[in-house]
Amino acid sequence: MTTLRQGPITPNGAAGFGLILIGATIAAAAPGLAAVAVIVAAFAAFEVRGASGRAIRRSLVLVVPLAIFMLIVWVGIVGRSPAEIAAGGVGSRGAAFLHVALIASRLFVVVCTIQLIAARFAHRTPLDFIGVLRVPVAAKRLFVLTLSLVETLRHAIDRAHTALIACGLLTHGASIRNLANSWVLVQTVWLTAITIVTGRLRDKWPVEHTLGLLDHALAQGEQRSLSRGDLVWLPAAFAAAVLAVVVR
Amino acid sequence: MLTTPRLMAIALCAALNFSIGSIVYLVKLPIYLDSIGTILCALLLAPDRRAGFVCAWISGALSLVLSAILINPFVPWFELTDVAIALFSAFAISQRAETFRARPLPKLAFTLNVLLYGLATGIIAAIVSAPVVVYLFGGVTGSGSAFLVALFLKSGQQLMSAAILSGLSAEPIDKTLQVLFAALLYRATPGDFIAMLQTSDDLAARTDNT
Repeated sequence: MTTLRQGPITPNGAAGFGLILIGATIAAAAPGLAAVAVIVAAFAAFEVRGASGRAIRRSLVLVVPLAIFMLIVWVGIVGRSPAEIAAGGVGSRGAAFLHVALIASRLFVVVCTIQLIAARFAHRTPLDFIGVLRVPVAAKRLFVLTLSLVETLRHAIDRAHTALIACGLLTHGASIRNLANSWVLVQTVWLTAITIVTGRLRDKWPVEHTLGLLDHALAQGEQRSLSRGDLVWLPAAFAAAVLAVVVR
Repeated sequence: MLTTPRLMAIALCAALNFSIGSIVYLVKLPIYLDSIGTILCALLLAPDRRAGFVCAWISGALSLVLSAILINPFVPWFELTDVAIALFSAFAISQRAETFRARPLPKLAFTLNVLLYGLATGIIAAIVSAPVVVYLFGGVTGSGSAFLVALFLKSGQQLMSAAILSGLSAEPIDKTLQVLFAALLYRATPGDFIAMLQTSDDLAARTDNT
């Protein structure tokens, strides 16, 4: 049963908040997008606070190059907006610019929402964050295993990449040799991972009872209660979503 | 359907999808290679197509979520493309699992199958991705194919058809490489690991086929 407790927004509340706002952003025209942006700004100011600066900077780093690229293509090359193309009109670079501005703003709000939520829970470890979420244990287990294997593969990639550069099959920068031999790197990494996984499944995990302990840890950590913070941000996100859909 | 070894295969293929991105970045290749794990997952579970689809789809979705959180927040919008690739891999590409693992390598059949299924996957991916490219990104995703979109728009095409045509000129090459890599990795995967993924029904079906 869900009960109410004191405190700021929980990971479950933040996940719901993010999903509602991202859905609303995708559906929004310019006025609705402004409503969503106001809620995101309020979340940054009151919930994330000091860490918002870094989250916004990261969002800018991700979106600005794409926006510049869009400007080059739409304003510089095409010179018309999609609506003008559909209408068969002459079109203007101003309309193309407005089209890019709307698309880039949408993308910025989406990215910023994700980055702010990540910044809000940056103090938690991935295992801790996943454990708290109110989703089936099997889904949590899958997510944790994948994260663990990503680390395993990253180490395998680093080792194999260094070894293949040392033996002259690959180079540091872009090269024809990389194009021809990158397959060796992929195969090495895959075989390393398979060997590790087979060993874990057959011997290590059954002996250590790893999966049972993991399931227990993930089930124990689950937060079933909502906080006062959730009850502020979830309705706010929902109201912004309604505005985003209705106001066009 | 989702036994522990299969869950591990899903996680492994999701991690592979995610990590190949790192490899592509390291060796600076001008391609994506972001669905190799999805296709490979369907192949590993052949001949069980239903399980192959479910596992391939989950592995693709997981890698999209991971990529969104850790690297690129725009990729989850291509989830429908991931579903289409998982469906095609499980119900079409996995039918050629025997050919991909045959020893000695049947070079002609292997090459023809990789080309045929790679091109088909590319066409499917291009068509399914186009609405996302048009609606969410306004036709420009930041890859080099955006210039193709611009070229088609300049030649009088509508945005949707320009996005589809651009996708059709870029995706088949990328997806053919992905099918090739998935088939080669499937071929290199030890039989012990594949046996762990099979249920008794799959093993019976495999014995009947041979």
